[in-house]
Amino acid sequence: MKSIKEHLMFILPLMAMLLGIEFILIFNRVTSNYEQKLKNEYAILVVSKKELTTPIARSASKYIQSVEAMNREEIAKEVTSGMQDNALVAILKDLPYFYRIHLTKYLSLDELKDIRAKLKKIDGVLNVEIFGETYHSKHTMFRLVKIILNIFILMLFIVSLFLVIKQMEVWQLAHKERMQIMEIFGAPLMLRSGVLFKIAFIDAIIATLLNIFIFIYLKSTWAKNSDIDFIRDNQASFLHWSDFILMLFTAIVIVSISVFVVAIKSSEVPQR
Amino acid sequence: MASVINANNLTLAYEGGKNIIINNVNFTIQQGEFVFITGPSGSGKSTLLKSMYGQIKPYDGTLMIGGLDMSRIKKGQLLQLRRNMGIIFQDYKLINEWTVEKNVVLPLIITGYSLDVQKVQAEKLLAHVKLSEYKDKYPLELSGGEQQRVGVARALSKNPFLILADEPTGNLDEFSSGVVWDLLENACDQLNATVVVVTHKIPTIFNIPYRHFIIESGGVHEVH
Repeated sequence: MKSIKEHLMFILPLMAMLLGIEFILIFNRVTSNYEQKLKNEYAILVVSKKELTTPIARSASKYIQSVEAMNREEIAKEVTSGMQDNALVAILKDLPYFYRIHLTKYLSLDELKDIRAKLKKIDGVLNVEIFGETYHSKHTMFRLVKIILNIFILMLFIVSLFLVIKQMEVWQLAHKERMQIMEIFGAPLMLRSGVLFKIAFIDAIIATLLNIFIFIYLKSTWAKNSDIDFIRDNQASFLHWSDFILMLFTAIVIVSISVFVVAIKSSEVPQR
Repeated sequence: MASVINANNLTLAYEGGKNIIINNVNFTIQQGEFVFITGPSGSGKSTLLKSMYGQIKPYDGTLMIGGLDMSRIKKGQLLQLRRNMGIIFQDYKLINEWTVEKNVVLPLIITGYSLDVQKVQAEKLLAHVKLSEYKDKYPLELSGGEQQRVGVARALSKNPFLILADEPTGNLDEFSSGVVWDLLENACDQLNATVVVVTHKIPTIFNIPYRHFIIESGGVHEVH
């Protein structure tokens, strides 16, 4: 019973740290997907007297991916619907060119404003509409949630770290005498702390596996059957195989540091 | 005979030299000698012994143990040196979570001997200290005298060149003390180990020649 309690006292904070890491990974992936979606749906509208090509537009920003010309005839037809046939020809003659500009990545509002200013300087460009406010407000909201979540996870990480340090003190009390006796008889650090390493590695593996099970459940059951479209759409973002490796690596690094600290603190200091 | 311990103008102190315990002493102990160190409480007997296994570094002068300068010894060298020593403590310093058998072979575990060798050596040593039937017990299930015999068996397990004992019979009754003295006598006589014992009282019956140092007022004086 005591042994189980000792293991849990280390496994639980370790799990909390790993949960935090996995949440950050998932959220970053979801954010990235969202940014991609925003980027794909977004285009800058340009009205120009002269034809605008992609190389010309790129002189305004390296983030311009392509320039898509809008069908002038359709626009003219909409404008002249119900008018005489020669009106269409006359309007087409004076109608400027309309373009949609697609970007390579999601940009901030300031960057968009900068692009607008540069596009306006291109010869023939009459007007540029960046739809900045609509575009930006959604993303700002998303970023805010991301920052809050990161702060929360950071706090969780710090509290968990304190719990791990507390458990290390318990370990130190429990193993100090044995480690010191072994040191008196010439045992090197690795041998003295061998038992601790064994316990710590087992705990690291258990904590990682428990986290994996939690996220497998979340991915395969909760996210799959969720009523919220956004969660269902991002089901694939839950738990990649690389996360398992990252979590195990992180857990092993944390336990290794913990054991080394205990071993060094338990080591005798020659007096002079 | 080769010199195993050599102190040259040795000074031992605590608190960075503010509290001098042993002041400018000189002595040499040869291979195979049995040495008693006595003196009043707080005179520095245990401090001198601790300096011999590197728990306290000399404040001044030199202390050579097995040819190694204890004031300049590196951590790795110190651990290596300790693997060839046997150390016995008044409070036994046994690992209570380990069986008697495992405690006895601790120096062999540290050196990396195989389990078979450990088992054979444990049987031999436990028979030697008459504790064969206790091999699967834990230290806290044994009396003080029995625990100290385990401590002596552990000290002998690797045929050390030097055995250091700090008040080995301090907590023992007369019978157990006699057993421990016999074991240490045998180690010196038959294994040619150098034995240095810090004690408040030299046993009345002792069967091999020995030297006697008294520590008093920071000095070490040999009684002839």
